[in-house]
Amino acid sequence: MATHRTSNRAMFWRIIRRLFGANPGRLFVMLLALGAGAAVTAALLNLEVDAKRRLTSEFRTFGANIIIAPPDSGHASGSATISETLLDRFPNQTSGSSIPRAAFLYAIAEVTAFSGEGKDSSRLGAAPAVIAGYRFLADDLKQVVPYQVIEGDNVVILDAETCEIGQKVASQFHLHVSGVLKLKAGETEHSCVISQIRGFGGAEDSQIFLPMKTVQHLAGLPQQVSLIQAVVPGGPAQIEHYLNDLRSRFPDADVRTVRQFTEGEARIYNRISGLLTATVAIVLVLTGLCVMAAMTNVAMERKNDVGLMKAIGGSVRRVLRLFLAEAALLGLAGGMIGGAVGIFLSIGLGKAVFGVAARPRLIVYPVAVALTIIVAILSAYPLRRLASIRPASVFRGEA
Amino acid sequence: MFLRLVADSFGRRPRHKFLTGAALALGMAVATAALSVALDVGDRLAKEFRSLGANLLVTPQADSLPLEIGGVDYRPVNSGAYLPEADLGKLKTIFWHNNVIGFSPVLEVKVSSSTPRWSPASATFVRPAANGDAVLIGTWSNHPVALPDGGNFITGLQQTSPWWRVEGSWFEDGAGQCIVGKAFAERHGVIIGSPLYLSTSTSDGLSLKVTGIFTSGSSEDDAVVTSLSIVQQYIGKSGQYRKLYVSALTKPEDDFARRDPKTMKAKEFERWSCSPYVSSIAYSIKQVLPGAEVRVVRRVAEGEGAILTRVRMLLWLVTGAALLAAALAVGASSAASVIERRTEIGLMKALGAGSGTVGFLLAAEQLLLAFVGGGAGYALGIILARLLGEGIFGAAPEPSLIVFLVIIALATGVTLLGSAIPLRRASRYKPAPILRGE
Repeated sequence: MATHRTSNRAMFWRIIRRLFGANPGRLFVMLLALGAGAAVTAALLNLEVDAKRRLTSEFRTFGANIIIAPPDSGHASGSATISETLLDRFPNQTSGSSIPRAAFLYAIAEVTAFSGEGKDSSRLGAAPAVIAGYRFLADDLKQVVPYQVIEGDNVVILDAETCEIGQKVASQFHLHVSGVLKLKAGETEHSCVISQIRGFGGAEDSQIFLPMKTVQHLAGLPQQVSLIQAVVPGGPAQIEHYLNDLRSRFPDADVRTVRQFTEGEARIYNRISGLLTATVAIVLVLTGLCVMAAMTNVAMERKNDVGLMKAIGGSVRRVLRLFLAEAALLGLAGGMIGGAVGIFLSIGLGKAVFGVAARPRLIVYPVAVALTIIVAILSAYPLRRLASIRPASVFRGEA
Repeated sequence: MFLRLVADSFGRRPRHKFLTGAALALGMAVATAALSVALDVGDRLAKEFRSLGANLLVTPQADSLPLEIGGVDYRPVNSGAYLPEADLGKLKTIFWHNNVIGFSPVLEVKVSSSTPRWSPASATFVRPAANGDAVLIGTWSNHPVALPDGGNFITGLQQTSPWWRVEGSWFEDGAGQCIVGKAFAERHGVIIGSPLYLSTSTSDGLSLKVTGIFTSGSSEDDAVVTSLSIVQQYIGKSGQYRKLYVSALTKPEDDFARRDPKTMKAKEFERWSCSPYVSSIAYSIKQVLPGAEVRVVRRVAEGEGAILTRVRMLLWLVTGAALLAAALAVGASSAASVIERRTEIGLMKALGAGSGTVGFLLAAEQLLLAFVGGGAGYALGIILARLLGEGIFGAAPEPSLIVFLVIIALATGVTLLGSAIPLRRASRYKPAPILRGE
């Protein structure tokens, strides 16, 4: 009995081998269809998981989404200040990354503008202007307050105190890079050389940017800042969580979100991720159906094989099992090849879109392989209709 | 005879033809849906990004330097320049007038406010002394702007600052109503429906009725917002404004868009001004508003550009992947259908058909399938794209002729390419061994 079963099994695999070997063209075609489906499944699943995470960090380009201001003073904001040490007391986010942030101190100074430093420089005018002292803990101030450099990209000014000015200040005084500003607030004076002209498209355009220490000295407010802006990455829930953390840490300051951006971001993020999920789902379902239709078409051509097996005494169940095993093996092979191709594809795609290679998620691979096997087996299933085939009519060339 | 052979082939093997056609239709449906969405998404998302508010800021060119800290301009009222409100209709006459979806002019003045308290003793409202500084912002909530061509364009803060959340209702234009910021309301105990008195050091009091309390998440939370005409009259600057926020649909900026238009050659300038870059819209607004300076709100524009570009690329890649998979599966299906017909091909050749005739016959069958399957797939894909668009953006993408042509071309190309290799091999078959069953 045992030997009978062993030889049966040996025969089963022998037939399967022969089925594969019989028609290499067909084998190739089936593998191609299944592999293409698996590759797209793996690539899209991998990309989708990765893209959503990347998109949230992409929203950082909007700049600060949290503002920490002095508590409500009863007067319109501007005159009150908070301690500068708050800037250094920000907790890291749960993911361990530090939050890009910057502190600003605003004051009004009498500004006199000169075209340059030398003796032949001319006085361009004088007017009161807002000076903004800043200190940031980020790669670049741009991360917190996005701007465009209008003049003075790659300009390095040595041996002088430098300052940057907004485009409105520049046009007001007809200033250019390397122009000189003399600032006077109360009794204190300071002068600086302009190193950059920046366009913000907001109130910052009419400000003069100086190092924090300088403005604190000019305004007579050591260790004080007017506000702190921070860029908290992540989805709405993460931002809210971080916000609560900040509120409990800084009880005597007013911590608020920049609603313009937090709300817009949440809305846009939901749209984009919904769009991505829906598109990927539709593409996957249709690709699956398409592969299935193609495979069924191929499977239906196996009438002769089925007829022959039945003629020499194969029971319907065993014949069907043979073909299902063949399909499952094909699915496995196609899924493994296609899945691997797809993951590499998504790494490349991620690099193309976000500039950073998508991190391959290993879970995607078995999922893609399993889906491919399911599609392959489902597409071989219509063969059970062939059970009603009468061997004789197949051989006579009928039906 | 040729047509009869083709018809016979379809009639004899309906299930096979149906399955090949179904594979084709499904593949092309994927391609259509993905293509339609990818083509449409830029415009739709650009609209979504307008929920971030204005991306252009217009100020008088001759203005003195604003002394603005925390949203409060510390300049006296009579310093600085103003712009005429009457010009605003021209914004809808520029080349990009359809891209301008909203604008609101702003005139601000620092005032002292006081809230009358109900006095039970005298059973009347008692007007206390002024109790704090506030900013009075005059703007539009939903204001009809007369256009030069005779039409009306309704716009205001509800378009340019859509993130404002108003409890109660927005003020009506010129009806002596106002809305107050949440911080202001809390500090002064203002509730919806209560009157509010405002005064400056130079002019007399102004009485407004509070119709709503708003949160904006920025410095406006400390302000009182009312209609532009009230503030204009109040400070004696009728028909003038100081700042204008414009919200416009734009195309993400690329390196070309960032170039200075003054350095461009005529041809380049034409291309630049014919693309709705935020900078070229700014340029055309400046042309119609004399004495104005138009600045791009970098925060909004840069982020929008970056994200739009990424999402677009992402969807194109998804589309590309979908096209590739559909093409491979369909190609495989057509290849298989040719491979399986060796006997038939052998028979035709034995009866005297040349390789060319056989190839032509099979190609004609495949083409017919491609047209039918491609057409059905397009229809299915359009329905799916509609569902997708309506579900996510509330608006369906327009079916476009280009997509149809691309899909039909793709279907034809893929089926022909898929069957080309097996057909070439089939043309080399010798009929005798095939008919002998070898």
